[in-house]
Amino acid sequence: MKLNLLLFSFIGAGAVFAQAPAAAPPPNIRHVIGLETIKRNESGHLTIQNGSMQFSAKKAAATVPTASIEDIFVGTETTQAGGKAGRAVKTAAIAAPFGSGKVLTLMLRTKVDILTVVYRGADGGVHGVILALPKGLAETTRTQLVAAGAHTSAPQAELKERTQQ
Amino acid sequence: MKASLGIFLLLASTAAFADQKGAPAARLHASAIQIDVVKVGDVSIPAEFQYAIYERLIEQVRAAGIFKTVYRSGDKAAANVPDLVTLKTAVDAFQEGSQTKRELAPVVVGNTRVDVTAQVVDKDGKTVFDQKVAGKVRIFGENLGATNDLAKRITKLLVANFY
Repeated sequence: MKLNLLLFSFIGAGAVFAQAPAAAPPPNIRHVIGLETIKRNESGHLTIQNGSMQFSAKKAAATVPTASIEDIFVGTETTQAGGKAGRAVKTAAIAAPFGSGKVLTLMLRTKVDILTVVYRGADGGVHGVILALPKGLAETTRTQLVAAGAHTSAPQAELKERTQQ
Repeated sequence: MKASLGIFLLLASTAAFADQKGAPAARLHASAIQIDVVKVGDVSIPAEFQYAIYERLIEQVRAAGIFKTVYRSGDKAAANVPDLVTLKTAVDAFQEGSQTKRELAPVVVGNTRVDVTAQVVDKDGKTVFDQKVAGKVRIFGENLGATNDLAKRITKLLVANFY
């Protein structure tokens, strides 16, 4: 009886672990500038659905209708990893003696994709939204935006070239 | 007599000099400004720099509070403002540096620099202000930081020229 119970427990536990893996959390995206309701350098999540691009940060959100997007550009930038904590660590590293903090500077490097979305507001004004995404994600986001009705002038090949720079 | 004439001449020249030095340049006035998208022409500059300059200019000029309204490029409402001026910025040169090099090297290398010509024109198209400005990142910060430096410098010029 005890053995049966143990076996059952094992099988039960196995079934729980065998369940479909939990959906990966949406990647953290940094708002560089351009969304008036979102603070500069605030992190959040980007969703593209129902004909709009939505950036949701902790306290605020901004929505851009994809039909109003006139252009999308993809670029790259080497920046500092670790978000706010990384910035604090780096500030401390600057003060480290004999330039030892420079090693930390090297370790805290990361490459990110930069997505520039140009759109027109309801009043006709041009807006330029700049977002820093994990490497390799900008092209996918761009494709999703185009599929959702965004316009773009630069051909795909040209954008790929720029990403590799 | 000679001494008093000498003193008089000295005082007069000092007063004239002080007057010349202290005379403020004529400052302009406009209730609203429209900020155009930065023109890049033939200069090879990533789009994020072009739009970061534009967005930071809007942000900084609004924060400076010299104009009652700051319109974005293409804003239809700007057409109804009689004393509207327009800020046009054109990139003359761009040098993209490296943040890693800047922070690691003991000497100043890896600078990022954007040179632009900032021009303010009135509604009739007459240039009221034209100046070359450079934005840089010398040691710390992302390359895009040059756009912030540039926007600050242009805003400072606007503050100096408008009331």
